[in-house]
Amino acid sequence: MSIKDLIKAQQHNIREYGMYIAFLVIVIFFTITTKGLFVSSRNIGNLVNAMSYIAVLAVGMTLVIVIRHIDLSVGYLAGTLGAIAAIAIKYWLLPLGVTIPLVLALGILAGLLTAFLVAQMKIPAFVATLAGWLGYRGALQLATRSTGTIIIENDIFNALGNGFIPDIPDIGILPGVHKVTLLLGILGIILFILGEINNRKKTQAYHFEVLTMNMFIVKLIFVSAVIAGITWVLAGYQGLSWAAVILLIVVLLYSYITSRTVIGRHIYAVGGNPEAAELNGISVKKITFLVFGSMGLLTALSGILYASWLRSATTIAGAGMEFDAIAAAFVGGVAVAGGVGKVTGSIIGALVMASLTNGMNLLGWDISIQYIVRALVLAGAVIFDVQTRRGAK
Amino acid sequence: MKPMTETTPVVEMRNIRKSFAAVQALRGVDLVLNHGEVLGLVGDNAAGKSTLMKVLSGAYIPDEGQILIEGKNAHLTDPLHARRLGIEMVYQDLALSNNLDVTANVFLGREAVSLKLGPFGVLDGRYMEKEAQRLLDRLKIDIPSVRLMVERLSGGQRQAVAIARAMAFNSKVIIMDEPTAALSVAAISKVLDLVRELKAQGASIIIISHRLEDIYSVSDRLMVMRNGRKVRDAVIADNIDDFRERVVAYMVGARDDFAVTAAG
Repeated sequence: MSIKDLIKAQQHNIREYGMYIAFLVIVIFFTITTKGLFVSSRNIGNLVNAMSYIAVLAVGMTLVIVIRHIDLSVGYLAGTLGAIAAIAIKYWLLPLGVTIPLVLALGILAGLLTAFLVAQMKIPAFVATLAGWLGYRGALQLATRSTGTIIIENDIFNALGNGFIPDIPDIGILPGVHKVTLLLGILGIILFILGEINNRKKTQAYHFEVLTMNMFIVKLIFVSAVIAGITWVLAGYQGLSWAAVILLIVVLLYSYITSRTVIGRHIYAVGGNPEAAELNGISVKKITFLVFGSMGLLTALSGILYASWLRSATTIAGAGMEFDAIAAAFVGGVAVAGGVGKVTGSIIGALVMASLTNGMNLLGWDISIQYIVRALVLAGAVIFDVQTRRGAK
Repeated sequence: MKPMTETTPVVEMRNIRKSFAAVQALRGVDLVLNHGEVLGLVGDNAAGKSTLMKVLSGAYIPDEGQILIEGKNAHLTDPLHARRLGIEMVYQDLALSNNLDVTANVFLGREAVSLKLGPFGVLDGRYMEKEAQRLLDRLKIDIPSVRLMVERLSGGQRQAVAIARAMAFNSKVIIMDEPTAALSVAAISKVLDLVRELKAQGASIIIISHRLEDIYSVSDRLMVMRNGRKVRDAVIADNIDDFRERVVAYMVGARDDFAVTAAG
């Protein structure tokens, strides 16, 4: 394989690197302009908690857009499911062990209903989920009509969106640093390095090309440094939040499923060419149900995280969340035409958008200017995406 | 009566009839494909050749008639069924996923799994990559890397991937629908070389094409259809000019070898 072919094969990664660089630029910009406040432990901790419910939605939305659909109903559905969780805890007096599975199950059910409209009734997803948007908006108002905002007084539930993982008691070393978070960070780095080495060995055993040893070491050091840096910053405040842990689990699980399993491969095949997928024995209908079902599950999770974060269910919870999730996915490199887009990309997209909001708030920028800046970033990201895609052809 | 020495054809279609509403697309067509043979199938538009191939690949269920695969009666219910019996169709629009790499396309719908975790089969990426590369090497297909996205391949390379995929799983019969349409001259000659390579490796092939010179250059035998009937079925023996003239005569209805049978 010549150098030219190698670059050609790597071309689709260049878009991804571009996004990481853009994210880095945003972080550096806000770090300088806020005199370091932006990367302070406390701010990063808050930022992660405030983005987690959007990021969870963005993961589901990525797959929905990959199979050439869209879901506008997720915002109010998340709000409605959050309200149901609040009602279940406060008025039905259900234990969390029942409430959370119940809400997640309702989310899956709602997702399957959307899938039924799209895959079975052949209604365009835009219309089907617009109906969902209206319907769940009504449902949310109905659920909160008699009570107004429902304050949730369950500490464990509220910890999901606000709490932090416990730490070992202070034993004199590293005072003020969250030691469990540090240990988890170190564990993460070790697992990453072992996984990479193992993968490299196996790939070499098959006589496929791998990165040169120098590049491989650079990659290991770079990623380890990033994990170490984030861990150190988080450990400096109260450590890893439960919301971050939940988000991490969702991202790892979905990355694995989409990149390493047959079902993941089939999702992308359906997105790339549904007719071809069908001819090769992949049921487009089944994949549609699966993807919308997963969207419903993640919407429920997002609704729980949001209600927990606010410690309450409001009458307008979830409004506009669908657009934040869609924007995160597009900024993260999901192609509008379907078939292309990674879960990790959408998480970076959500991070970019959340960082912008957070940074501009710290700088005290006017909210109207903030919207315009975010608009420019969204449009710019998609323009970059389309241009690199065209350039790669 | 057939002589005892004759080997069983890999495919035999007998008296296939298929109507769509009032239109009789196939009016009792017979087709025989022998082992290791390339059969060219030509006819004007709406002659019934694509319909006949869709019957053979399981996409259409015939109203009447019999299909024998290696002498055994087969009732093909859908394309996957036909595929399990070893009949592969290379579609005109290729049926590739542009967003996936060559390996993923070769194994689409038949992925190799290294581990099964409940409903999640874990892809055996390295094995599939190795097998895809071996397949391309065996068929002498020149693509720089099996990791390339299909959207980055030329038309001829895509056609080659589609054909290679049909060969990947020990298929008995490969049906190619217009494999050289919309390709450059250089790409056409590569695809035709690939057809010869497949034949040399023992594949039995049916090739539909409007390009008579392509049919002439790779086929052993030619079948001409017109108005849902077979009008000519003979070994290719003429020189190219006579061949073309003769075939056109059959295609437009000036000649018909089976006229009496059909009338009766």
